[in-house]
Amino acid sequence: MSTAWALFQGLLIEALPFLLIGVLISSLTRWLAPGGRWLRRLPGHPVLGPLSGAALGFALPACECGNVPVARRLLVAGAPLGTALGFLFAAPVLNPIVIAGTWAAFPDRPWLLLARPLGAVLVSLALCLLLRLIPEAELLQSDVLAERRLNQPLSAVTLLQRRSGIVGIRAAMATDPDADPGRKATPDPASRPPLQEVLQHGGREFLQLAVLLVAGCMLAALVQTLLPRQWLLNLGGSPTGSIVALMVLSLVISVCSSVDAFLALSFAAQVTPGALLAFLLLGPVIDLKLAGLLSLLLRPKGLLLAMAGAALAVLLIAQWINLWLL
Amino acid sequence: MAVVKAHHLQATGLALWGLVLLRASSDGRLDLLLREVFHPLVGLAGLILMSWAAALVLPGRSSSMGGPATPGQWRLGAATAAIALLLIGLPPNPSFADLAQQRASDDSGEAELAFVLPPAQRSLTDWVRLLRTQSDPRLYVGDPVRISGFVLPRRDGPPVLARLLVRCCLADATPVGLSVRWPTNQPLPRADQWLQIDGDMAVQQGPQGDELVVIPQRITPIRRPARPLEP
Repeated sequence: MSTAWALFQGLLIEALPFLLIGVLISSLTRWLAPGGRWLRRLPGHPVLGPLSGAALGFALPACECGNVPVARRLLVAGAPLGTALGFLFAAPVLNPIVIAGTWAAFPDRPWLLLARPLGAVLVSLALCLLLRLIPEAELLQSDVLAERRLNQPLSAVTLLQRRSGIVGIRAAMATDPDADPGRKATPDPASRPPLQEVLQHGGREFLQLAVLLVAGCMLAALVQTLLPRQWLLNLGGSPTGSIVALMVLSLVISVCSSVDAFLALSFAAQVTPGALLAFLLLGPVIDLKLAGLLSLLLRPKGLLLAMAGAALAVLLIAQWINLWLL
Repeated sequence: MAVVKAHHLQATGLALWGLVLLRASSDGRLDLLLREVFHPLVGLAGLILMSWAAALVLPGRSSSMGGPATPGQWRLGAATAAIALLLIGLPPNPSFADLAQQRASDDSGEAELAFVLPPAQRSLTDWVRLLRTQSDPRLYVGDPVRISGFVLPRRDGPPVLARLLVRCCLADATPVGLSVRWPTNQPLPRADQWLQIDGDMAVQQGPQGDELVVIPQRITPIRRPARPLEP
């Protein structure tokens, strides 16, 4: 157990600064662009939306933990669903640090430098198209949905769907029993909120996410301790088996996307090229550490569909790579 | 009874997380958990969280943010406090041997080394990396060795002396090791024990042909170094 405790601390202490960066960016966006009108101008097209969201990743060189609060801000500010989800799923790979890290780790495999970002875009696109099948009300958590509807134009949501805001009550206060009742109502969501309110809102977001991150790190540390990594690598002798084994490994290890390529380097020689790519694609989208954080955005149905969809998309891409390179 | 305001509770939670990160930065545990390049980031995050907490309770600023804490905020505050106190009170003490036994050894290596230290100055990791670039072990027979590491038991042979390589944090640590010809007149060292070995290099027949082995002249038990992880 002492080893599991140390693993837990390592995962948590490494992830907390990135979570803080994400919350700071989210709070800054809330303060500088209240109401998020420019976000609502992003394309809502089923394909262009996720692609524009994925492209936003270049503006945020952080790993997946930091992306969750930013994606939450995109959602509550009323950005098109596809754009916000495209950012959430693709940005952990489509950022300069991760691409540079992949190149530094695998200079002898130039195909990976193209396949990893391209694969991340394809996985993100597939997930966005899949999650569009679920109505927003069943996909997003209720507090995210309420605040999102308040920030969407009346042409997009009805007054009944808004449930609040029309008389100047903040959506978060109307739906979130934990919202501070001492806060003053803000009549116009597009007006710049006072700095104190932004600090308090960001602080609450950080505390909520940190507790969920603790749960994810705890789970990841326990599974890592109980499940020998070598056992998984040995399991993947066949092309498909190696892909599945490395997908499970990426779920369990839960390391940041900014360094996972260097970790993959240590076992790259033992696995097929498709399995290597599967490890580098799936971990940034979903892992044990992230699952708790994502539950703050998505309801269980959406979360399960995203996990299953990501696994299937990564498996197909990796199989194709194996057919091509083996 | 005094009513606890929501922003006071929130400031306490942020300060506790800040304290966890600052404590981790100052008590040396980061050397045990994270690669060195991340250490300043952790300290900076701790300072930002402490400043954030202070900004929430600054006189004048907080006067407009009244409101008592709700039950949900109390629950979040209690969970934060419990976790933070556990993290501060229970520093990590991992078994490197347990960790290493669960993982494949690190097979990665540079095609060429930028420079090579004299034999007696090479660390265990330097030796392993050198062997990857120039894999003929006979080139090093008779070279003096002065290395330190922890004892890592192997299923298929005597224990090796090992180190953990880390790219990010302890979760991605992978072991590298060197074979040692342990003295036959003494019991084998126990797992996880840290040793410094002074001796010479020799070649022995291994399962995959010739392999380098350390012939110890002197084995000294040492404390775990302050920075036991290697990049």
